[in-house]
Amino acid sequence: MVDDIEATVKDVILKEFLPGEDPSELTDTTPLITGGVLDSIATLKLVMFIEERYGVTLQAHEVDPEHLDTIAQIAQLIRSKKT
Amino acid sequence: MSTVLSGTPSDVRSGTKTASARIGARDYVLILLQLGLLALLLRQFQIESAAFLRLALLAFGGFAVHALLPLRYRLPFFLALSLAGIVVVLDPVNGLSIIAMGIVLIGICHLPVSFRARGLLLIAVGALLVALRAKWLAGPVPDVIWPILGSMFMFRIIVYFYDLRHDTVTPVSPVRTLAYFFMLPNACFPLFPVVDYQAFRRNYYDDDAYRTYQTGVDWMLRGVVHLILYRAVYYHLTLAPSEVTGPGQLLQFLVANFLLYLRVSGLFHMIVGMLYLFGFRLPETHNRYLLASSFTDFWRRINIYWKDFMQRIFYYPTVFRLRKLGTTKAMVLATLLVFTLTWFLHAYQWFWLRGTLLFSPQDVLFWTILGCLVVVNALYELKHGRERSLRNTPQTWRSLGVVTLKTFATFWAICVLWSFWTADSVEQWLSLWSALKGQYTWSVLLYPAVVLAVIVIGSLERNPLRNVKPSKVDQHEWRRARLVTAVSLVVLVGVSIEAVHQRFGGEVATTIHSLRSGHLSRLDMAKLERGYYENLLSVDRFNSQLWEVYSKRPANWLDVQGANLKRFTGGFAQNELIPSFVSTTPYGTISTNRWGMRDKDYERTPPPNTFRIAVLGASTVMGWGVGDGETFESIVEERLNRDKPNQAYAGYEMLNFGVPGHQPPQELVTLDYALSFKPNAIYYVATTREISRADSYLIEIVQKKVPVPYAPLRDIVDRAGLEPSMDEATAMKRLRPFGAEILSWIYRHMVEDARSHGVIPVFVFLPALPEELWQDETVEILKIAGAAGFPVIDLSGVYKGQETAALSLAEWDHHPNRRGHQLIAARLEDALRQMRPSVLGADVQASSN
Repeated sequence: MVDDIEATVKDVILKEFLPGEDPSELTDTTPLITGGVLDSIATLKLVMFIEERYGVTLQAHEVDPEHLDTIAQIAQLIRSKKT
Repeated sequence: MSTVLSGTPSDVRSGTKTASARIGARDYVLILLQLGLLALLLRQFQIESAAFLRLALLAFGGFAVHALLPLRYRLPFFLALSLAGIVVVLDPVNGLSIIAMGIVLIGICHLPVSFRARGLLLIAVGALLVALRAKWLAGPVPDVIWPILGSMFMFRIIVYFYDLRHDTVTPVSPVRTLAYFFMLPNACFPLFPVVDYQAFRRNYYDDDAYRTYQTGVDWMLRGVVHLILYRAVYYHLTLAPSEVTGPGQLLQFLVANFLLYLRVSGLFHMIVGMLYLFGFRLPETHNRYLLASSFTDFWRRINIYWKDFMQRIFYYPTVFRLRKLGTTKAMVLATLLVFTLTWFLHAYQWFWLRGTLLFSPQDVLFWTILGCLVVVNALYELKHGRERSLRNTPQTWRSLGVVTLKTFATFWAICVLWSFWTADSVEQWLSLWSALKGQYTWSVLLYPAVVLAVIVIGSLERNPLRNVKPSKVDQHEWRRARLVTAVSLVVLVGVSIEAVHQRFGGEVATTIHSLRSGHLSRLDMAKLERGYYENLLSVDRFNSQLWEVYSKRPANWLDVQGANLKRFTGGFAQNELIPSFVSTTPYGTISTNRWGMRDKDYERTPPPNTFRIAVLGASTVMGWGVGDGETFESIVEERLNRDKPNQAYAGYEMLNFGVPGHQPPQELVTLDYALSFKPNAIYYVATTREISRADSYLIEIVQKKVPVPYAPLRDIVDRAGLEPSMDEATAMKRLRPFGAEILSWIYRHMVEDARSHGVIPVFVFLPALPEELWQDETVEILKIAGAAGFPVIDLSGVYKGQETAALSLAEWDHHPNRRGHQLIAARLEDALRQMRPSVLGADVQASSN
């Protein structure tokens, strides 16, 4: 289950925002927001996906590099919301 | 070499601190060597101001100590250095005032009351500061501290308070908080990036120390390159709207106008690069914004800190609040709100920096149009997505072609929008486009070709992942970057040395020389000069160098106590000095005699055997900025009477008819008045840009519907088709072809009028300060004066070998000071002796006045 979140988030990022990209290039620590992969539109799309997929609610102030910059941070946020 | 530094992992909360914050001795020396070269570069190219150089030296010296300290002492040291920087740049009283006011504002954020109460209190204190800044309330706050205090707190307090509200986990660190608000380079820059507090805290020493410092050096160097390129554009490519007469010039105008933004990107790189030296690994402030391939892309690449600020504080909260309307609608509304607020916050920023409200239709329209374009673009991206890449992969021919076309179109669209934003008025902007009716030659393709070439080269590789930690950069790429930095530093320092760039030959050497000094461009100098007498400076953009100079000018600069120096007279000349007027200025007493001359008293008719000279001219002749008896005219008069160069005369009188702000056409009226004092000679002291000045004055007269009493000038006005309702740029374009004809007629009229009264007409050319900036019309002016029949005294080079700052009144007022007048007097006296018969009367010609 723990690994599922990372893998699922990675899958959706690759599919939605990085089609054709080598999956090995995207790691758990790749900077997504500060790196320019997730712009505001992509970030909101990802937030909608997370909320729908995991049944959690994110707050506006959590949509920032502090919480969503890497797959690891995203997974950590989801887990903290689910517990 | 052993490791010279030690430290413990940061105590900050991020939990990602992996770096030891240590640097090896060899790397430490390498960074210091590069900082030495950078300091040399800043000095050689006079980057920004002398205050900035002092601050940079403080920062570089501070780095040398900071990097050696144990990690726990570094943040307190950075804070101490930052506070010292404020005191160094400002004086101790002002510096401490800023610090005290800042501490009060920060203290409010931490009061032990509810957030709502703290927020309301901040708003109340903000309102008080607004009242003080706007001078609705009298207070002991000097004007000089507002821009700096404003730049430190106007946005950062919003970011800080927002984070304080939402981050309930991270412990508050007073040292970090103070360092955030008073961060080192801020004291020199009223225009400062909106640094994100989270990033400031999160990225502190989160990577290899040496690579972080080295990245800082790279960014500062990039900043210097931007600033040098900015100067090249600012000095050599910018055009006044009135100079845009053909399609080629229109394209040059559009490109140059947009590229002036290089100053902002250069400064931001300098600022953030400097922060890297102290472990703050902040994100990039700009990302190759000239290569934006859409409007959303442009918004994401230019001033990224602003975009991030708006996104965090306004965009996401709005989207979340409006999500019940549907995400797409919420995003559209939030985007429009962001652009509305961006407009408002620019006005807010303007208020803190200048103390006045900014409201212009161009501003409103610019942000509205850009906002709408970004919304449309965002909707497209929402539906179709956009291309992203994690690697620096080469383009295919097709993708390169597509991205080049999109970037090319975006660039020109932004240039057009930018020209609209920065125009003085909508009418002026509309008048620019008449240039499209001009002549089409191959030169029209110059700017599009250069832009296309830059875009193609810049787009050869896809935009890779941004803001990667320096330690993650591939070793090969890192070494290549080191080589680029080292070579760039050495080359730039090398070419900045006069003995080196002189070897490149005339034009190249002159261009490099011009890039080495920081001054106003010819266009801004003309505006500044115009602003001496009129409150019409268009200093209305934050990146305006002119504004920065002008903002230093005290509000009461050279105010004449008790009254105006001039009075309105009606008629063609419009104004004259008030007779029998005495007042004081910071530079001494200004008094006029009963005839309205800035001079001692004279009789209407000269005493017997006296050679009387009527001196005509503008502010320098009048002696703007020097006291009575200190004008060059007074000095020369005294010396002539002491030495008596022509024994045929018992004495000399020089009557000062100078009137500040008078232009060549007005001198025709002054000449008539001067001739009524029966002079033996009239010396018309012309300064630079006589052709443009004469044109400007005729336009002013036509706009004010003042009758032109001189038939030849009336005829030119008719032929040019000037109308009172015409905007200045259009009128200037119409009149420019007649410029030489106008000045020729004025000079010929002066000569003929003088000679018809038996008076010797003499033309004295007096260059303005700084002399090298004002030479565009000089050759033609001298030619016209000679052709009109004037004996010409050319004082070109009178300031040679002297620093402009040592001879002019102030940075914002380049009138010659006392020393300047002494130099002019010495040169004029020499010239008078050399040309004695033609300018001081023949030896045998005794006056029989």
